[in-house]
Amino acid sequence: MLSAKKISFSYPDAAPALKDISFTIERSQMLGIIGPNGGGKSTLLKLIVGLLPMQSGNLSFGDKALADTALAYIPQIQELNDSLPMRVCDFLELVPKKASRSIDECLKRVGILDKKKDLMRELSGGQRQRALLARALRCSPEILILDEPTTGLDGQGQDQLMELLKSLQHNEKTTIVVVDHNLGQVLKHADKVLCLNKSHHWHESKELLTQNIIEDIYHCEFEHIRLHEAGSTFDDHHHECQHDHSHDHKHSKDWKKDD
Amino acid sequence: MIESFSDFIHYPFLTRALIATIFLALTCGLLSPLVIAKRYAFVGSAVSHSTLLGLAIGIYFGGSDSSLTLFFWTLIITLILSMFLAKSTWRQALPSDTLIGLFFTATMGLGTLVHALSTRSSGDLLSYLFGNVLLLTDTDVMIAVIVSLLIIPLIVIPLKSWLLSTYDEDFAIISGVPAKALHYVFTIALTALIVSAIKVSGTVLVNALLLTPGFFALRFARSLRASFTLSVSFSVLSALLGLVLANYLETPSGATLAVTQVALLMVAIFISKFKRLI
Repeated sequence: MLSAKKISFSYPDAAPALKDISFTIERSQMLGIIGPNGGGKSTLLKLIVGLLPMQSGNLSFGDKALADTALAYIPQIQELNDSLPMRVCDFLELVPKKASRSIDECLKRVGILDKKKDLMRELSGGQRQRALLARALRCSPEILILDEPTTGLDGQGQDQLMELLKSLQHNEKTTIVVVDHNLGQVLKHADKVLCLNKSHHWHESKELLTQNIIEDIYHCEFEHIRLHEAGSTFDDHHHECQHDHSHDHKHSKDWKKDD
Repeated sequence: MIESFSDFIHYPFLTRALIATIFLALTCGLLSPLVIAKRYAFVGSAVSHSTLLGLAIGIYFGGSDSSLTLFFWTLIITLILSMFLAKSTWRQALPSDTLIGLFFTATMGLGTLVHALSTRSSGDLLSYLFGNVLLLTDTDVMIAVIVSLLIIPLIVIPLKSWLLSTYDEDFAIISGVPAKALHYVFTIALTALIVSAIKVSGTVLVNALLLTPGFFALRFARSLRASFTLSVSFSVLSALLGLVLANYLETPSGATLAVTQVALLMVAIFISKFKRLI
């Protein structure tokens, strides 16, 4: 079980970015983390993967500390430095720890074995995500953490990626944590949802998530979020929600309405 | 033209220039793709210009006659300055180009001031701006060779870690690669290389040696291995051509080296564009 207890974090000279955040997920479950911009999603993710030091609270995986767990992190694809002519096979070779799976096996698993000799920068967004996933698979991670994996993918690409994650979750018993702006995909595929806005958070099975909870966390009307997901543009003078308008999301189905 | 090749065997100052240029070009060629990929081009420029302050202080305390004393003074002062630069540029959310620009001009200005105000200064600081291989001593060559022999294994042995921290820094940190230490080590290596190359190419022109081979390689290579092979080959061959041309045309060595490298790069880009058209 991946468990976080009372995690708080503040950047220097700033208000707390996270306050008393707790959640738990069972092994081989998928946790989707959603929330408005500036709500602390990225900060929480950086704490989980160890890019930021833990200030208070703790994270554990079963009876182990998270630092002792085989953990793989998949960053946003735009964070890769494409000035280097990195071929897919070279990219998968750059695994510092001893890899338990071969490059071919991992590429085959994510369906891009034919792209082995191609340059990373010449792959499509979906193929790059698959290459990142293949690298993560080389060390057979117990926990897989993804930062905005659906960004830049079309609807079909998003569905294919999420299906791939679901198959890893079920076949490899991998515990998955996904941070994403794409509410539709998260609600469709995650087992549990952490809806996060700094100190204000809600965490439970997705079946219990209601429209009111989302509105409350986002400080925004549900209809607005739905329009947002559909890619509508807004005149920012007329509302003050914290939703990120720069994102283009096309999946906003399967919402559970309040009774 | 043939005679100008044999000059490198017959004249000791040209032999010294040849050996120093080969080693420096080899090391610059190896570092160059990383300098560009890490977006350190402006950092390299700032470090090379800040050597003027080290040189001014070195000339004040030790004069310009002893190459070794001047090298150590310049290296120590420039290392102190570049460590400040390394600290200020490590994983900053804000763009650091303004800070680097300020550092660049402040250290260069301060170097010129220190030199102008110090009565004991006998060396001409301006002669270090553009380099002069005719001034190379045996000690300068020894310094260039030792610096190169130290830097090459430092890059080649943990190349995987350099590449990972350059291509995907977050993943590198999470995977246990000491990316912060590598950032500082890279700045130290860059500083030592620049200081050892001052007499060959000068503080202003050393950037051509540092940037052109990497730019050439990253423009044309289709793999990591090819990019480093191309960069080193281009660096050594173009620097040798530049040195031969400088001797043949009796032109300043640093300037000839820089112009030769950039001219070859332009020709290569032109040919590749032309090939694409036909």
